[in-house]
Amino acid sequence: MNEALNLLAAPFAACLLMTLMLGYMGLHVLKRDVIFVDIALAQFAAVGAIAAHFMLGVHADSPAALALAWGATIIASAFYTLTRHFVPQIRLEAVIGISYAAAASAAMFLIAKGSSGHTHIQQMLAGNLLWVQWKDIALSSAVFALAGLIFWICRRPLHRISDNYETAARRGFDMMAWDFVFYALCGAVITVAVRMTGVLVVFCYLIIPATVSALFASAWFHRLLIVAATGAVASVAGLTFAYTLDFSAGGSVSLFLGLAVAGSALVAHARRRY
Amino acid sequence: MSVVSEFFIMQIMLVMVMLGLNTYMGIHIIRRGIIFCDLVLNQLAAFGVIIGLGLGIRYGTPLSFAIPVAAVLAGCALLAVTRPKDKRVSAEAVIGILYGIALTASLLLADKLPGGGTYLGKTLTGSMLWVSWPLVLTTVVVYAALGFFHYIFRGRFLKLTENPGLLRHRGLWDFLFFATLGVITILIVPVAGVLLAYGFMMIPASIAVLFGRGWKAGLIFGWATGTIASLLGIFMSYRFDLPYGPTILLVMAAFFIGALVTKGIMTQLETMTKGRAS
Repeated sequence: MNEALNLLAAPFAACLLMTLMLGYMGLHVLKRDVIFVDIALAQFAAVGAIAAHFMLGVHADSPAALALAWGATIIASAFYTLTRHFVPQIRLEAVIGISYAAAASAAMFLIAKGSSGHTHIQQMLAGNLLWVQWKDIALSSAVFALAGLIFWICRRPLHRISDNYETAARRGFDMMAWDFVFYALCGAVITVAVRMTGVLVVFCYLIIPATVSALFASAWFHRLLIVAATGAVASVAGLTFAYTLDFSAGGSVSLFLGLAVAGSALVAHARRRY
Repeated sequence: MSVVSEFFIMQIMLVMVMLGLNTYMGIHIIRRGIIFCDLVLNQLAAFGVIIGLGLGIRYGTPLSFAIPVAAVLAGCALLAVTRPKDKRVSAEAVIGILYGIALTASLLLADKLPGGGTYLGKTLTGSMLWVSWPLVLTTVVVYAALGFFHYIFRGRFLKLTENPGLLRHRGLWDFLFFATLGVITILIVPVAGVLLAYGFMMIPASIAVLFGRGWKAGLIFGWATGTIASLLGIFMSYRFDLPYGPTILLVMAAFFIGALVTKGIMTQLETMTKGRAS
């Protein structure tokens, strides 16, 4: 029992951190209806880190790899902001979808050129949550705290834009600048999160707790409470499941987040009917 | 015929036939704004392939297509049933979650299979390098049948996308539309992989939507550009010994970025000349 607690303490701390930060960002993402932007940004961060590893020969944990990963998300953010502004003839979702597939292919391309391909694929998707170190958690806490602080300082414009994009645009907000700030912040948070748990798990933490909260509440504060509870319960269940049955920790947590949203959807449906 | 020229003839035939119908379906998908449905179906097909491997069915055999068929059908049903009535949860969020769960399921399953990681990689990047004549012929026959069907009922399908309110028996045509997507998915994903299959569906169609004014012009332009891009990718992969599927997709993506930039510049120039004229 003690051994399990020792082993799972750091992964659980990482999960809680991600629940709070990614869950809060997920509320914005859901309100803005740009769901797939996250998985695309996460995939770009992964490509940056892999490129640093194979092309610069640095370790995936080094500051250079982090800088390249964050740089990749910044480039993607600028690309989306510019496309939305200058090429209105095509839906932004189509551009996001194609860029996600292209980024994932770029990752597979680099991995195929390197050695021991398939281990990297699984690591890219689900990370090494079970072996996360306390120093990773310290770094993530610092980045999340900084990003959280900026979110708090800019909460008025950011909440207003997320609550209603068109009204905010009419009121004279500089949408291009605020969009870029939002995506760059998301990029920074996602970059350090992807390093701990991989693209897929980050995506699940972002959209699933926020979706569950949307089923039961509408005020920002109430939704945050539901996000925290959903994320914490799914994390404990997922880590226990992974530990007991020897599954990938990241994949298991995603699985339980998925079960949580399926269960909540059934409850919400039943509540509406009866 | 040398092995190399036979290889190129097979690849070229496969790509040209495939892109004809894919571009057409892709334009429908973009106009209807259901961009990520295809990605979900592709990932479900891949999940089915991995289940098949778990049951000991060999990759690429006819039987190995049976489980993906079931998985994709279940996905079509889920996509139809889970249309949210609650305004606070958008359809895209539901599609995103379905995709996340399909990928999670594939990952967890691959985790437990001996050599599962390799197969997970294979379902993502495909094994198009190993295309054989029977597969090319099957694809040509199925695509010809689907294309013929869509040509005959083109009026209904166009109405479904452009003016669905006016269409009688909308549910039936919707089902036939998704069933077509499902058949394409099952046929292409085991060969091209999830990512390239998605690229074949979306990239030529996006280029078509950017430049083509009508359906016909867009279709021809998208198909031609997509074919040129894929063939260039195939050639580069062969000539420089690059990973096959990812190279094709990256070349197509480069064409797409080129198209976006061109369109952006054209739009700016048009606004400038209009501004001067007035």
